[in-house]
Amino acid sequence: MIGTLREILQQSLHRLAATATAYVPPLLAALVIFAAAWLIATVVRAVFLRLTKTAWLDRFVVESGLSSLFGRSRPLETAPLVAGVIYWMILLVGLLTGLNAFNTALTTKMVEAVVFLLPKLVAAGLILLAGVWLAQYLARSTLIWAVNENLSHPRQLAMAVRVMVVFVSVVVAADHLNFARTVFLAAFLLVVGGLVLAGSIALGLSAHDALKRRFAEPVHASDGQEKPLWNHL
Amino acid sequence: MLTEEARRAVGQLKKADIVIGIPSYNNARTIGHVVRAAQAGLAKYFPQLSSVIINSDGGSRDGTQEAVLKASIENPHLLLLNTPLLPVHRLSLPYHGIPGKGSAFRMIFAMARELGAKACAVVDADLRSITPEWVDLLVRPVLHAGYDFVAPYYHRHKYDGTITNSIVYPLTRALYGLRVRQPIGGDFGISRRLLMRYLERNDWETDVARYGIDIWMTTIAIAEGYQVCQSFLGAKLHDAKDPAADLTAMLQQVVGSVFTLMREYEHVWRKVEGSRPVDLFGFRFDVGLDPIPVNLERMTKALLTGYRELREIWSLALDRSNLEALAAVCRQAEQNPSGWRLADDLWARIVMDFACAHRRMPVERTHLLRSLTPLYLGRVASFVMETETMISSEVEDRIEQLCLAFEAAKTYLAARWDSTGKAVEAPTQPAPVEVKA
Repeated sequence: MIGTLREILQQSLHRLAATATAYVPPLLAALVIFAAAWLIATVVRAVFLRLTKTAWLDRFVVESGLSSLFGRSRPLETAPLVAGVIYWMILLVGLLTGLNAFNTALTTKMVEAVVFLLPKLVAAGLILLAGVWLAQYLARSTLIWAVNENLSHPRQLAMAVRVMVVFVSVVVAADHLNFARTVFLAAFLLVVGGLVLAGSIALGLSAHDALKRRFAEPVHASDGQEKPLWNHL
Repeated sequence: MLTEEARRAVGQLKKADIVIGIPSYNNARTIGHVVRAAQAGLAKYFPQLSSVIINSDGGSRDGTQEAVLKASIENPHLLLLNTPLLPVHRLSLPYHGIPGKGSAFRMIFAMARELGAKACAVVDADLRSITPEWVDLLVRPVLHAGYDFVAPYYHRHKYDGTITNSIVYPLTRALYGLRVRQPIGGDFGISRRLLMRYLERNDWETDVARYGIDIWMTTIAIAEGYQVCQSFLGAKLHDAKDPAADLTAMLQQVVGSVFTLMREYEHVWRKVEGSRPVDLFGFRFDVGLDPIPVNLERMTKALLTGYRELREIWSLALDRSNLEALAAVCRQAEQNPSGWRLADDLWARIVMDFACAHRRMPVERTHLLRSLTPLYLGRVASFVMETETMISSEVEDRIEQLCLAFEAAKTYLAARWDSTGKAVEAPTQPAPVEVKA
C-alpha cells in the first residue's frame, strides 16, 4: 500500500518535473522575449518621437480632413500616433515570438491565426476608418447644405447619411473578414431596399405636385419668396 | 489655354492695342447693349488704336453668342467722330476648362497677350448701366497714366453688393491697406504687365476659375505693388443674379479666394497698418438706383437655424469669447427679431476667426466656408435693420465704421494667426438658443 502510494507520488513528481522542464524554459524564454520586445518598443517609440519629422504627414492628415474625425480645434499631431502604432506592433511581434517559443500545437495555431488574420484585420480597420471619415464628411456636407437650403430637420438628415455610410463600411469590412457575411448583406439589402421603396412612395405621394411645378417652370421664372436672398450679392 | 478657334482668330487679327473682354453665360438679354457700349466707347475714345471685343462664353443656350455678333451701333454719326476710325472687331468664342467667370477671363487674357494688347478691360455681360464712357474710364488710366489696375467705383443701392460691403471690402482694405471700394466689382482695366503676371500664375484651376476671379485679380494687383486706381462709373445696374445660382457657392468661392490669398500674402499684410485712399478717376455724380428687396425675416431665421445646427462646426473655428458673444446675439434675435444687432467688432473678429481656421483647418475648408452663409446672412440682416432709414451717404459712413472695426481687429488677427492653439479646445456648447421652427 505504502509502496503504491510512493510510486504514485513519484510518478506525479516526475510528471510535474517533466512538465516544468518542458514548459518553464519556454515560459522563461517567452517572458524574456516579451520583455525584450517591450524594451525595444519603448526605445523605438522614444527615438521615433525624438528624431522623426512628420510635418508632411500632419499636413496630409489635416488636408485630407482625417483630423476633423477627432473633432479637435488644433491640428492632429501624427508623430505620437505613428509612434504608438509602431510600439504596439513591436509588442505584438514580441508576443507572437514568445508564444512560438512554446512550440505546441495550440500556440502554433494561435500564431498562425494571428499572422493570417492580421492583414485582413488591418484592411478591415482601414475600411472602417475610411467609412467613418466619409460618413463624417458627407454628414457635415448634408447638414450644412440642409441648413443653407432651409430644409427641415437638417440634423436628422445628416444623421441618416452618417448611419448609412457607416453601415455600408461595416458591411464591407465584415465581408472582407468573412464575418457574418450573409447576415450583414441581407440586412444591407433590406435597408437599402426599404429606403428606396420608402423614398419612392414618399416622392409619389408628397412631392408629385412640387416636382410637377418644378419641371414645368422655366429656369428664370422662379420669382418666389426666395429671390431677395440672391439680389444683394 | 487657347482653343483652336481662338488661335485662328488671333492669327487673323494679328494685333490689337486694346482688348475688351466680356465673359458671359446666358446673357442674351443684356449682352447686345454691353457690346454696343464697348464698341461705341472704343470708337469714340480710342479711334486710332486697333481694338477687339472678345466675348468669352461658357456655353450659353439662349443665343448670347448670336447677340454679340449681331450687336452694332445703330447710328455711328451720333458719335461726332473727327478722327480716322479703325474698325472694332468682335469675337464670340467658347472657352474650355472649368466652367466659370475665371476661365472666361483666362481666355480673354491669353488672347490679349497673343494680340500684344497694351490694355485690357473686362466688363460683365449683365450690365444695364454701362455707357461708352466706361471704356474710357477703364482703359485710359492704363494707357495714359501708367496704372496697372483700374478698379470700378460705382453708386449702388445700399443693399446691393453685400458680400462686398460686409466682408470683401473691409477685409481687403484692412489687410492690404488700400481703399479699393469695389474689389469684386467685375469691371476692371488691366495693363499688359499685370495681365502677363496673371497668366503666369498656376492657380487658375481653383476657385479663381469661378467667382473667385475678381478678388484674385484685385488682391494680386494690390499685394504685389502694381499701380492701382479707381474709376467712377456711375450706377451699377445689372440683371438680378440667376435665382438658381447658389449663394453659398458664390460666398465660398469669393471668401475662400480671399482666405487663400491671405496665406500667400501673409508677408505683405503683416506689415500693413491702417489704410490709404486710392486715386479716383471720373466725375462723381449721384444717380437713381433700383431698389433691392430684402427678406429680413428669412435672413434672421437663417442665422438662428445656423446657430442651432452648425454651432458645433462654428465652435471649431471661432474663439470661445466670440462664440459666446454670438450666442448672446442669437438670443437677442430670438427675443426681438426686429431689434437685434451683430456688432461690427464682433463681425470682424468672426471673419478673422474663419480666416485663421481656413489656414489651420480644424474642419474641412469647404465645410468651413459653407457654414459661413448663415452668419453672413445674419450680418446682412443686422446691417439692413440698422440702415433702413439711412440715405446712401449715411450708409457709406456706416460701412466706413465697419472698415475701421476690421482695421482695429487686425492685431487680433495677427495674434490668432500665429497662435492657432488658442482656439476653443473642444466643441464647447454655450447656452443653447431655443429657436422656433
